[in-house]
Amino acid sequence: MPARPTRPTTRAARAETRGETRPQEPRPPEQHRSEDDPRIMLDRDVGADLYEPIPPYPTRTEREGEFYTRGDGEMFINIGPHHPATHGVLRLVLKLSGEQIVDVDPVLGYLHRGVEKICENSDYYHVIDQVDPLEYVSSLFQEWAAVLSFEKLMDVEVPRRAEYIRVLSGELLRVASHTLYMGFLALDLGGLTPILYSFIERDEIVEMLAALTGARMLFNYFRIGGVNGDLNHEFMSRLGDWMSRAARQTEANAGLLNENEIFVRRARGVGVLDRATALRFGVTGGNLRAAGVPFDIRRAHPYSIYPELDFNVPTRLEGDSLARYLIRVDEVRESIKIIDQCLHNMPDGPVMAKLPRLLRPRPGRAWGACEGPRGMLGVYTISDGSDQPFRFRIHDPSFLNLETVPTLLPGNLLADTMTIVASLDPVLGGIDK
Amino acid sequence: MDRTLKRRLEARLGTQIQGPIRQRHDQTEIRIQPGDVPDVLRTLHDSVDFRFEILADLAGVDTGESMQVVYHLWSETSPDWLRIIVDGISREDPRCPSATFLWTGAEWLEREAYDMFGIVFEGNRDLRRIFMPPDYTSFPLRKDFLLPDDAARSPGEGVRHVERPYAPAVVADDPAAGVRRAPAS
Amino acid sequence: MTLAARTWGRMSLTARLTAILLPLAVLLAVGTVVGIVFILPPTMDFLGANMPLVRFVVAVVGILVLTIPTAFVLIYMELKVIARMNLRVGPNRIGPWGAAMSLFHGFKVLSKEDFAPTGADLTVFTLAPVVTFLASVMTLLVIPFAPGIFGQDLNIGVLYFFAMGGLAVLGLLMAGWASFNKYSLLGGLRSAAQIVSYEIPLTISVVGVVLLAGTMSMNGIVLSQSGSALDWFAFKQPLAVLIFFIAATAEANRTPFDMTEADSEIVAGFATEYSGMRFGFFFFAEYVNVFIISALLVTLFFGGWTAPINWPWPYNLNWLDAAGIGILWIPIALVALVVATDILGAAIWLIGGREWSAPSAFGLGLLIAGAGVTAAVGLACFIAFDWVQGIFWFFAKTYVFVFTFVWMRGTLPRVRVDQLMGFAWKWLLPASLLNLFVTAAAIIILNQPVIPR
Repeated sequence: MPARPTRPTTRAARAETRGETRPQEPRPPEQHRSEDDPRIMLDRDVGADLYEPIPPYPTRTEREGEFYTRGDGEMFINIGPHHPATHGVLRLVLKLSGEQIVDVDPVLGYLHRGVEKICENSDYYHVIDQVDPLEYVSSLFQEWAAVLSFEKLMDVEVPRRAEYIRVLSGELLRVASHTLYMGFLALDLGGLTPILYSFIERDEIVEMLAALTGARMLFNYFRIGGVNGDLNHEFMSRLGDWMSRAARQTEANAGLLNENEIFVRRARGVGVLDRATALRFGVTGGNLRAAGVPFDIRRAHPYSIYPELDFNVPTRLEGDSLARYLIRVDEVRESIKIIDQCLHNMPDGPVMAKLPRLLRPRPGRAWGACEGPRGMLGVYTISDGSDQPFRFRIHDPSFLNLETVPTLLPGNLLADTMTIVASLDPVLGGIDK
Repeated sequence: MDRTLKRRLEARLGTQIQGPIRQRHDQTEIRIQPGDVPDVLRTLHDSVDFRFEILADLAGVDTGESMQVVYHLWSETSPDWLRIIVDGISREDPRCPSATFLWTGAEWLEREAYDMFGIVFEGNRDLRRIFMPPDYTSFPLRKDFLLPDDAARSPGEGVRHVERPYAPAVVADDPAAGVRRAPAS
Repeated sequence: MTLAARTWGRMSLTARLTAILLPLAVLLAVGTVVGIVFILPPTMDFLGANMPLVRFVVAVVGILVLTIPTAFVLIYMELKVIARMNLRVGPNRIGPWGAAMSLFHGFKVLSKEDFAPTGADLTVFTLAPVVTFLASVMTLLVIPFAPGIFGQDLNIGVLYFFAMGGLAVLGLLMAGWASFNKYSLLGGLRSAAQIVSYEIPLTISVVGVVLLAGTMSMNGIVLSQSGSALDWFAFKQPLAVLIFFIAATAEANRTPFDMTEADSEIVAGFATEYSGMRFGFFFFAEYVNVFIISALLVTLFFGGWTAPINWPWPYNLNWLDAAGIGILWIPIALVALVVATDILGAAIWLIGGREWSAPSAFGLGLLIAGAGVTAAVGLACFIAFDWVQGIFWFFAKTYVFVFTFVWMRGTLPRVRVDQLMGFAWKWLLPASLLNLFVTAAAIIILNQPVIPR
């Protein structure tokens, strides 16, 4: 056996033996080497300050300058946008003295998608689809506000059965949203279990609505002049099953927290939002009612069939985190009452008004508002006579509820940040639009 | 429609209301001048026969010719929503008095209107961008805003986004500097 | 190109294997013979002459090794128990009922990148997990697992325990400081404040037990509780048990006192910047800590390894002594046999497939037989050896408390820092002092001789 020829070891040498030469590619000019770019800060230039959440540009307003001036013994800590306990992509820059909060600067916009602009470029039917992902926890209400506004704009009469179905599905979703709220409040206080008990209820409701609407979260169900489809068998049978245990189950879930001494002590007296402050901030929903103002759009400015229904608007006077939580518990009870009434009084008839394929409302303006789980959801539409809204303004309750955070937090401890923010129940999808 | 509200508004605000009071469905609409904003809002908020305590919404509007600021108010004295349209704000230098002296919550709503339309609210002590990044130079909801060439004008153009600094190319509190014009055609 | 390389290139695979393995086998055989003849006797002499040293080394190694299965079992238990409490299933893919989950957690942390943030104090950053882990593990040295099975019977065992336990805070503080992260810093400072505060009621609550037992040796404390469950100090010191339980929960940073790693507030506290095996050490230390405080609770208040009723067994056969290595060969040989049978049976069963066939039935039979023999051997050992009994009772009691800690984690939310500190200084400290005074007064009034038994 002849000796094997030796193989060249490197790739270049092998290519040479085959008589190939690799063309020498010119290196592309380096346009943006970070060392040369004066706009780019490197770790070594900045040192420890790189990790401070202080913006490197000159302060834009008086308030910003005041916030980012550090006093004696104060430090900044950056919570979010990626943090286990900020619901979504909220970023809070806290100024701390030890563990005590001195000041807060919430930074928004990490989830900004420009939905208003998108809606101004889509026709009236598409808008309902676009507003769905805003309040992703309870998207039916955002649809409802848009639809209310459009119906006023176009003078559309909604069939009564459709109104009943709207109220029925909306109240179901309100229960789901409040249940989830309780779970997340507990999770932010360090309790692992209630969130999973909450998810049982929410999953059941969401599956139920999926049977009705075809989607679990982003329903796209309400239409201008009605709803997309009539009640079906699967929805009704699931609803019947759930209603037979709903009251008992929600009470049991609430008992997980209501009777927990640690939870009550951490929530009571924390983040007190009194009546006057709440009104000055334009806070709505359960947060306002926990401060003693019985402002519920379902009663204050009735829409749909709510005037015919029998339910209470629970209020409390304390205005602290515990009151905000207990208001939600009460509202779940009221919602179950409403669902019961809807099922008993549901009329027959069509679920959609007759409407043209292409909607061109007369020029005009309309404001529609409905009561979502977090407060008033409003939509202000301006029509210029074309098939697209000229201006489509979305008002989200979480936005103003969150605005109270810089007022509520100072003086509390770092741990109370989570209690207060969670008890205000912001949904960043709606806030950032 | 609340006819009494219309009469009360006419009686109380009188000449400050520009044009007719419009009413449709559950909404009553008045138009005022930018200079009258503090007066009108204070009257509506404070006087015992109005008590419009809840600021439902504050929206900026670009009509193409001028800017508007639209307030929606609610009161238990009336079944109607009250819509106040502040009309006739110039597009070149949009300025409007702030409502923060009555509703602290208007601060963020005004920040949003500033961010989207460039309307400067005089008296708002924290008027900076709220959704868009601080180095952003355009006002996206204006009618002359064009999406495609917006990104090309950003100071971070060509730089990997993670390395982009926060150095505004245009001084942000001068809205006219950042206003985008519709292409001349 | 040498001759050797050319030859190697022409050899077949079998030839290559033989060429490697044969010299190795020869070397091994020669080495064994040389070792047995020349090295073993002097080594044995040396070891025999230095028994305490050998015992210490064996104990330390044994305890370090013991922590691994303990932590694995605890992590799996926590995953599974909390899952059941949350109406979830928990891990169920790796191993039977997901039992190998924590093993693979271990592989995962080993294979992850060992990351240190820019600006971190690298020396301290690296040392911190080691300090935390060792401080936890070293406390196990004084805990008696069974009669004759303990690391060291220090006459100041309790003191040693709290001294080492207090050292753990140093590791957390180091981690918090060196990470160059404010969450870590807050976590480290919280842990320092918390552990320093809770150390006081924790220690004072134990003084009552020390007074009753008249000794600080862990072994002595266990022996003074021997008899039935009624002799346990839990019944003589009910307040101390409560204080100790609460303070120990805080010492081990467990829910509801897990301020140092409050995930919804300060992300992961001192462990925020840690990854890979460095984080693994913290993780290990946390679970070993749970085991340790449960073990201490059992040792001090629940009779340690003693049986809860006055047990008629074991027939303490004197020649069956745990220290005499000779008799250990009997159970070891039996267990080895059973394990071999089981492995064979499992292999046959797996090959035989899921359908009933002769091989699979045979394999299953072997498995069942192996299990039966294991149970029989275990029972025999339980009856025959008091140390097997001791280990059984010790671990049974300890895992009851481990379960309690897991249970609390699944149930309770977290308290706030000021509430935590206020509780320690306003309630626990006075209560523990009261307990101490009452105990001392009772001892004097009842005129009980304070003499070690």
